[in-house]
Amino acid sequence: MLRSIFIAFWRSFTRHPLYGGLNLLGLSLGIAVFIALSLLVRFETGYESWSPERAKIYTVGTRYFFPGMTDEVRIGAMGGLTEELKASYPQLVTVRDWSNPVTVHKGSEVYAEQIELVDPEFFTFFGVPMREGDAASALNDPGSVVISEEKARKYFGTADAVGKTLTLSDAEGRKPYVVSAVMRDLPKNADLKLGLMRRITPQRTAMEPDTWHHWGSVQLMAFLKFNDPAEARALQAQMDAFTDRQVGDSFGPGTKGSSLMKLVLVPLADMHLIDPKQKAAIVTLGLVGVVALGLALINYVNLATARAGLRAREVAVRKTLGARPSALRLQFLGEALLTLLVAFIVGLSLVELTLPLINAAGGLSLALDYMKDGVWLAGLLGVVVLAGLVAALYPAFALSAFKPAQVLASSRTPAGGRLGMRLREGLVILQFAAVVMAFTLMLGFIKQIEHIQSADLGFKRDGLLLVNSIRDVNINAAQREGFQAAVRALSNVTAVTLANAIPGDQSNVNNSNIVLPGQRDKLTESPTVNWSVVGPGYFELIGIKLLAGRYFDPRFAEDQTWVGSHAESDPKRVTNIIVSRLAVQRLGFKTPQAAVGQTARFADHTVRIVGVVEDARFYHPSEPIPAKLYMFDAHVSYNPVGFVRYAGVSESVMRERLRKVWRQIAPDVPFEVTSAYENLDKYYKPERDRSNLFGVGAGVAALIGCIGLYGMAAFNTSRRAREIGLRKVLGASRGQVVRLLTLQFLRPVLIASVIAWPLAWLALGQWLSQFDDAIGISPLFFLIATAAALAIALGTVGGLALSSASTEPGKALRHQ
Amino acid sequence: MIELQNVSRLYRSDEIETTALHNINLTIRQGEFVAIMGPSGCGKSTLLNTLGTIDRPTSGAYLFNGVDLARLSEAKLAQHRARHLGFIFQSFNLVDDLTIYENIELGLLYRQGQKGSRRQAIETAMDRVGIAHRARHFPHQLSGGQQQRAAIARAIVGNPDLILADEPTGNLDTENGAQVMDILKGLNASGATIIMVTHSPSHADQASRRVDILDGQLVASVAQML
Repeated sequence: MLRSIFIAFWRSFTRHPLYGGLNLLGLSLGIAVFIALSLLVRFETGYESWSPERAKIYTVGTRYFFPGMTDEVRIGAMGGLTEELKASYPQLVTVRDWSNPVTVHKGSEVYAEQIELVDPEFFTFFGVPMREGDAASALNDPGSVVISEEKARKYFGTADAVGKTLTLSDAEGRKPYVVSAVMRDLPKNADLKLGLMRRITPQRTAMEPDTWHHWGSVQLMAFLKFNDPAEARALQAQMDAFTDRQVGDSFGPGTKGSSLMKLVLVPLADMHLIDPKQKAAIVTLGLVGVVALGLALINYVNLATARAGLRAREVAVRKTLGARPSALRLQFLGEALLTLLVAFIVGLSLVELTLPLINAAGGLSLALDYMKDGVWLAGLLGVVVLAGLVAALYPAFALSAFKPAQVLASSRTPAGGRLGMRLREGLVILQFAAVVMAFTLMLGFIKQIEHIQSADLGFKRDGLLLVNSIRDVNINAAQREGFQAAVRALSNVTAVTLANAIPGDQSNVNNSNIVLPGQRDKLTESPTVNWSVVGPGYFELIGIKLLAGRYFDPRFAEDQTWVGSHAESDPKRVTNIIVSRLAVQRLGFKTPQAAVGQTARFADHTVRIVGVVEDARFYHPSEPIPAKLYMFDAHVSYNPVGFVRYAGVSESVMRERLRKVWRQIAPDVPFEVTSAYENLDKYYKPERDRSNLFGVGAGVAALIGCIGLYGMAAFNTSRRAREIGLRKVLGASRGQVVRLLTLQFLRPVLIASVIAWPLAWLALGQWLSQFDDAIGISPLFFLIATAAALAIALGTVGGLALSSASTEPGKALRHQ
Repeated sequence: MIELQNVSRLYRSDEIETTALHNINLTIRQGEFVAIMGPSGCGKSTLLNTLGTIDRPTSGAYLFNGVDLARLSEAKLAQHRARHLGFIFQSFNLVDDLTIYENIELGLLYRQGQKGSRRQAIETAMDRVGIAHRARHFPHQLSGGQQQRAAIARAIVGNPDLILADEPTGNLDTENGAQVMDILKGLNASGATIIMVTHSPSHADQASRRVDILDGQLVASVAQML
């Protein structure tokens, strides 16, 4: 029997290369998409799997319920949270990871890096893989630093760096640190970026008196470990009471802490996909993989049942010779199994070949490691084989059910009956519905991504460079002023200022509530605004339009804010502010003009609105634009970034000029500059990458659909060769025959469109709803998708129809 | 060996009921060579298919060595065909995608308890019909006569008790037809029971008995002197 299966399988390729090739190609493509997207899903859901303790670790997330703010879970916690937690629950096992900027000095060179300030138990808590050094004691000494293999190679040229010295400057000043251990590099799917690590010191935490125990601030990542998920659930159940107790009256008298913020224990495994939008995107891509496999299996069923007719005589002969139906089913399922195994190998090879392209298209770093991934691949093979065999059951049963006496008595090829025809047409409709839906979604994705990348954001993003190094802790006020003056003198620079209202930078975001006279000062009732401090000429430089009143002006003493100056502020002093259009609405003013001149309470100060500006979208297009409050500082010192507007020169030339200026002013601090485009692109890139991946999946799905349609058309045309000959004998023209053969296949495409449109409309609407700034769904998306599907169907079937219609009738009549 | 008792076969479609066989009573003994004759559409092939158990009688009994085959399940009938029957068709019905050797092997593939070397049996069968030199060829590479000889080899490879031949010479020229008849006579002489449907009176004359069918009824059963 085994031999018979092998022979039939082999001959299906050598004797029917078109059928065998189409069948294998369709299946392999579907399996390839399935494998590639399974790889993606595994990558995305496997974040932090490098930690053997992953299942036991939870991180703290916070949800805020301030009016005008979204309430999603934000990963991160107040600096002093674990201290307060342990005071109430001494049994808790916790560690903290606080990312800080640091400068690494290597000779005269300086490098901007990020350093993780952690508790000394961090390495044993996570089970961080160490190359050298003792995980338990590596950070016992505050003068030690632990580095990754990559950083060791970067700074010492070798991974064997234990005992060597690294000079770092950060908030605690410039000091030498001894490398006490070298960690193994973590895989790419790790949100914890462990490169340089040092112990959190009391000196460092003492520098954060305003925020360390300030409820509402998010400063670092706090991790807790539980041996049993029930313990985590038990603590979670007590979190509201804990928050109420600890917050006390700091959110205002009578305002419960838990009414404004909730602490959430997030399993480490869920941390990466905590954003439901990200999770939905990954689930969608996973579904595309399943759909591609489904389409390929539909093809398999279609081609197999179509070919069943051609194999009917063989079945009849085998039955006559004593084959039982079960033996025939075994034969056909065996052939299917072999086909699936070969298709899996071809699919896997396709993935191997195209992985660099997929990684480039999707901005990914997926890789296949046969040593490590053997079990996972075997699992995938199991899924493919199981799904394939279920799909193959129908053709196997249909084939084995042929009645030998009828088949042998007839000179015609059985078509599998009306049911078989209906089934095949139904499956082609299903395939094309998937294709039309994919095309429609693709068009929607492309248009929306185009839109977010080119939409009017309320400011001018061209010709704008942002000098991040200005906010380095080692840069003083004189250097800030000196840099601005030197840049202003450069040719092609049209404006320079400092500000912490930065497009595409959410590293320092402040929210507070603002209260109009006569309103209750309650965090749960008064509107929340996002506030920033800006320097002279900021609005003119960035291009945010004035709606009413005036811009800030250094000549007005009351424009100067108290923020950033540690001097005691005068409680009676009124400070001028500018608000955005949205803030005006939230405050309840009818027009921007009506808001100008009004006073309010803000952060324990009296403020007066002197100007209203247009809303500007600085962050992700899915994030609602926040209501904004701007304060003015002639010499911004509160987390400022340098804004440089230039014209008439390329970005690279301007960057180089700025670098030269920087080198003269602050040679000890690494120069960091980004463009507004670059800063914003990090919001667009994931959308673009996923859209690309979806596009690849949809393209392959369409290709599989075409293969299926071609196979069906080839089979049908061959079955109807005699009929076509007869029609031509009776005077049908070539055009009439082509029409006859092609129209038959256009019908399923049109029916498929009717099915696909509402589904695509729902799916696209759902996807667009995540964007605060979304395009409308155009009917053109649907029409173009259907037209494309029709064109593909016509192109696929047309050639065959033409060649069949061009065959001489005599030849066609001899066909059977 | 074979006894048909009042065997009838009706075909029903939505509107028409056709009687293909009507109350057929027929007994065939071991070692007989029976030719079935009659005009087109008279029920010859239905009778042969019924004898070959690939068609079931609507009523009546079909005893094969005393066992009523009409009562057996599909699986049992398949077993019966594999063990006891050999088929030869007018249009050969060789499987296009299998070589001649593999086609002949099909005759052994579904026999339960088949032990020993298949190769030996296949080579013997090929030698008996003179087709051994074509073993590696596909059917379409052979002439009609060669294809029919291969089909005969497939029918006899399992040493069946009964060979059913449906117009085995119908698609062949005179010379090839004569060759096939010689092979069948040789098989009969060595003990095989053969039932052959034919349109050719001269080929029918070479059988030991001739059965005539008309409109689904058996009208004559005449023993012939050879």
